[in-house]
Amino acid sequence: MMDFVLAFIGSFAGAILFNIERKNLIWAGICGGISWVVFKLFYIQTDRVVFSTFLAAFVCGVYSETMARKCKTPAFVFSIPGIYPLVPGITAYTTVRAIVEGRLIFAVNKGIETIGTAGAIAFGIMLASTVFQFVSKVNEGYKNKPKATS
Amino acid sequence: MNIKEIMDIASFAGEILLSSGAEIYRVEDTITRICNCYGVDCECFVMPTGFSLTVRNKNGDVLSNVKRIKNRSVDLHRVEMVNTFSRKLLNERASYKEAMEELNRIKNMPYFSYSLQIISSGFVALGFTKLFGGNVFDSLVAFIISMGIFYAKDKIQKYGFFQFLEFFISGLIAGVLSILIGKMVPNVNIDKVIIGSIMTLVPGVAITNGIKDALYGDFISSFSRLIEASFIAIAIGLGVGVSLIIQLSWV
Repeated sequence: MMDFVLAFIGSFAGAILFNIERKNLIWAGICGGISWVVFKLFYIQTDRVVFSTFLAAFVCGVYSETMARKCKTPAFVFSIPGIYPLVPGITAYTTVRAIVEGRLIFAVNKGIETIGTAGAIAFGIMLASTVFQFVSKVNEGYKNKPKATS
Repeated sequence: MNIKEIMDIASFAGEILLSSGAEIYRVEDTITRICNCYGVDCECFVMPTGFSLTVRNKNGDVLSNVKRIKNRSVDLHRVEMVNTFSRKLLNERASYKEAMEELNRIKNMPYFSYSLQIISSGFVALGFTKLFGGNVFDSLVAFIISMGIFYAKDKIQKYGFFQFLEFFISGLIAGVLSILIGKMVPNVNIDKVIIGSIMTLVPGVAITNGIKDALYGDFISSFSRLIEASFIAIAIGLGVGVSLIIQLSWV
């Protein structure tokens, strides 16, 4: 719960930096909180950073698509602050630190993890929005079909 | 309405979108939609650093223009406003004067006040330092450092050096300040403070937009965005790295 509040604060303040409309700020903050909690849960279970980041980004994408339909705004308003907690700050920093200290193999390890995490975030969000577009298209087809036959 | 005015509206809308960090497909969509609303054909080619646009009306008159975008920032609210503006055009065609007034209003839309932005950048650092396992001292230190970074970055941006310098200097400030404070105050975890305070700088938007562009088929812009993002990351890393080297060898 404490984690949720902290991630909420981070995303909320980040949303202010991105200049989002006032009524959407709270929802953007909640998005950050949710994605961090999902990440934490899966990370404790599986101990795989990239995989849990991917799932968290997917959940974040689903949440922001749903909210986008409710609030009638584009989805990125929620998803960009929402992925703030997932951005691989720690691993990137560890990479730099390892390079500075001369432990190059460790640095390569961490560097690949950083790139993988960044990719996982983007693909998670894209997967969510693609699924939503697909579902809405299928729905349209389903609605149109009976009309065409009758 | 003549063809030149239509092109003016479309390219102004595109300029606002592109300089506020919208995705490529959204810019192309909006420009095409605006032109189609007024009943002219249009063909546009958008890259992150500028776009070119050709408009052709029914009599066969052709007009084209190239626009270079210099300043890019992230401002999601403006993107949203231009988006709704272009959708509104479908229902009611605004005249040239109305449309330009509306777009000018969007362009000069007030930001959150400067002090609020500084404070919120501090809160980003505070939240994330605590989240990544720092203690209360760490987060307070990161709060102050992050506000300092935001201020310094803004000042450098105003003088208009090249973009990566400001990220380099911000990383350097973060590293040096947190090492200094870590020396003076016991109980401060330098790693956590640095991570928290550079959190406002990381190019998260650029990376996601880059991969999004690739998935929509705009490979050139996707590449340039990803490269921009990685250069920003390298610049921050260099700044932090230099300060860490100083710490390792002299302090």
